[in-house]
Amino acid sequence: MNCPHCAEPLADGAAFCEACGKPVGGAAPAAAAAPVDVSQEASPFEMTAATRGPGARAAATSGPRPCFQCGATVGPDGYCESCGTKQPTERDHFREQPVPWVAGVCDRGIRHSRNEDAMALHATAQGGDRAVLVVLDGVSNTDDSHLASLAGAKAARDVLLTPLPAGMGTDESRNSAVKRVFSDSVQAAQAAIVALTPEGSTKPPSATYVVGVLEGTRLYVANIGDSRAYWLPDGQPGVQLSVDDSVAQAQIAAGMDRKAAEEGPQGHAITRWLGIDAPDLVPHLTETVVTGPGWVLVCSDGLWNYASEPSLLVEQVTAAATTDPMALAVALVAFANGRGGQDNITAALARVEAAPTEAAPADPAAGQNAATDQQAEGEGQADG
Amino acid sequence: MAEFTASVYQNEFLPDGGTDVNAIVTVSCTGAGSVSSGSGGGTAGEIIIVDTSGSMGPQTMAAAKQAAATAVGEIVDGVWFAVIAGSDRAMLAYPQVSAGPGMVQANAETRAEAQNAVARFVGSGGTAMSTWLDLAGQLFSSIEGLTQRHAILLTDGENREDSGKLDRAIQKATGYFQCDCRGAGTDWQVEELRRIAQALLGTVDIIPSPDQMVAQFQQMMQASMARGVADAQLRVWAPQGSQVLFVRQVAPTVEDLTARRTAVNPLTGSYPTGAWSDESRDYHVAVRVAAKAIGQEQLAARVQLAIGDDVLAQALVKATWSNDSELTAKIDKQVAHYTGQTELAAMIQEGLAAKASGDEATATTKLGRAVQLAAATGNDEATSKLRKVVDVDNEAEGTVRLKRTVAKADEMALDTASTKTTRIKK
Repeated sequence: MNCPHCAEPLADGAAFCEACGKPVGGAAPAAAAAPVDVSQEASPFEMTAATRGPGARAAATSGPRPCFQCGATVGPDGYCESCGTKQPTERDHFREQPVPWVAGVCDRGIRHSRNEDAMALHATAQGGDRAVLVVLDGVSNTDDSHLASLAGAKAARDVLLTPLPAGMGTDESRNSAVKRVFSDSVQAAQAAIVALTPEGSTKPPSATYVVGVLEGTRLYVANIGDSRAYWLPDGQPGVQLSVDDSVAQAQIAAGMDRKAAEEGPQGHAITRWLGIDAPDLVPHLTETVVTGPGWVLVCSDGLWNYASEPSLLVEQVTAAATTDPMALAVALVAFANGRGGQDNITAALARVEAAPTEAAPADPAAGQNAATDQQAEGEGQADG
Repeated sequence: MAEFTASVYQNEFLPDGGTDVNAIVTVSCTGAGSVSSGSGGGTAGEIIIVDTSGSMGPQTMAAAKQAAATAVGEIVDGVWFAVIAGSDRAMLAYPQVSAGPGMVQANAETRAEAQNAVARFVGSGGTAMSTWLDLAGQLFSSIEGLTQRHAILLTDGENREDSGKLDRAIQKATGYFQCDCRGAGTDWQVEELRRIAQALLGTVDIIPSPDQMVAQFQQMMQASMARGVADAQLRVWAPQGSQVLFVRQVAPTVEDLTARRTAVNPLTGSYPTGAWSDESRDYHVAVRVAAKAIGQEQLAARVQLAIGDDVLAQALVKATWSNDSELTAKIDKQVAHYTGQTELAAMIQEGLAAKASGDEATATTKLGRAVQLAAATGNDEATSKLRKVVDVDNEAEGTVRLKRTVAKADEMALDTASTKTTRIKK
């Protein structure tokens, strides 16, 4: 058999041409020449027990995974046989897509030597039904924070596998029950992190915490630290739903310009975190009604460093022009890496489609979201 | 079964925008056995080529006969062998056949017969080395299934043929058999024998006086008999879009292999290394890759030792971009050492060539630099040989004066030894 692109002879069973590097498996030359649609790319990473959430589908693919950079074969030594790129370990780069409408990518970035971000996802099969997106960002100058953050993320998610309390009579009683569930989730993450704290550690592992739970049109966001959740309705200005516990946020609250504060010397100092030395463990909690179509984005600062304003994120979402959450997550991580990848990058997404029965009001998402967000934020700050 | 190991010495850290990766790869072989063990024996061939031209003086001829007889005595039972008497044409001195297989298997009887044939050598005629190499090639090809082919060539004079003939013969033999070359006395051309030896993966040396000939031949043949591993290849893979700047053997001698690449596939080249005994050789590999962002790591080369299609050992040459100048500024000790030794070889050869052409200023500068490098890299052999050719004023700064009278043999010994390197002192 010869390569359909350059006609060089191919080795038996070759998936890529050794001469021109193009994929040859099955694809007709015409189809392969078309622009690559990332949403059609299979994830090169097999999900393992380490990253597969409960209910997540098992990896469908087997055999050696192709190169993360160029798609060629990876050698048994862990480097690409074509471009030589070192393949990330499962911990340094992993992808999850428990159901077609929910996906996330957790990536080491470029500058850091290991990936201390962690992600844990859970979702039910029906679009718009129920999704749990958890991101923990391990603090980089602490011991073993890459282990602690992953254990914490999974523990936090596992508390949220069942639907949040509903039908509790009054809104007040329901709110307090919901608050308790998120408090349990934080406590579970905290316990996992503390359990992994080396004895006598002078730099105990610590991490941020952000969770987005989508149930129908209700979106709950709980956070501690500076990892964020956004609601990004299609073609509309987005909103940040989490509240940073950071020096920058305090400065913004005191009237400082957002850009100046976030890029200032203390911009990345967080004021609250999980870990054995955590000051307190009460999350900011917001509740928002979201009307699709749009995206729930839960991410670490490795992403929002390059697009803090929701409008900048919307630009990237629009540029990606996809409704596949994996394709968008890959695109957002690539965007952050393209800007320098200064930190670990995590992007977890849930795609919310327009409710089929409701006729969209004149100005749907923006106004409504903004209103509930104001209210929710007030509640969050009262918690802190 | 022989085992190979490969280890790499390099500074993998490149500064922002850095593209050139240098590494020394040490390949070691153990358990090679000998030509008669394992896969050897019936599949190895040895040919002894002795110059029997009229220029061979009686003393040299007597020594050459004795040396050839000694070498024959070292050939292990079962190894196919032949002896060629070379003048302006090549004569098959042993076995005395005119058709069919031109080699016989060694045993007590054939060795004695060959030694008798050697004893009857008479010097006459000229020197046409191309015919010697051509006949050796024909003899090797008359035996089916030889996996290892090695020749020893002794001459006392320079080649007297139309230019180009010898080159064509060398080209034909390249990759087919290996050849160690020795020059007796001082009337032969170092450059000529070096050309043969380098192409045919052998060594070159001077035998200044006849009484050293027996020991040299014995040592060469013993070394050849110890090579239980036939024809190994060094393979170098480099990533798509990169450029292999050079591949050099740097120990035990400097041999530039860059131009000897044959493609295994578009990204992998194969370089001949010949047969191996229990030994260790160092290779200097330099690859130019596209610069990546700070913090990125990639493979710059896979350096492998292969026999046929079997890869027996692999070393990984890496590149990691860093903005930590403490990491990126360091030059690996091995890389620095062999870079110095390679320059030393070049300085000696260029210095002697300049001296021969009467350009004393260039000769003084180059040999001075050689003295400096030999001292800096701890190459005592080069230092002592250089001191027979130049008077050293200041070793550290490389200021020397050419000696007014130099024994020709000393100059040739310096030239032939120029490619010998020393390993770094641990």
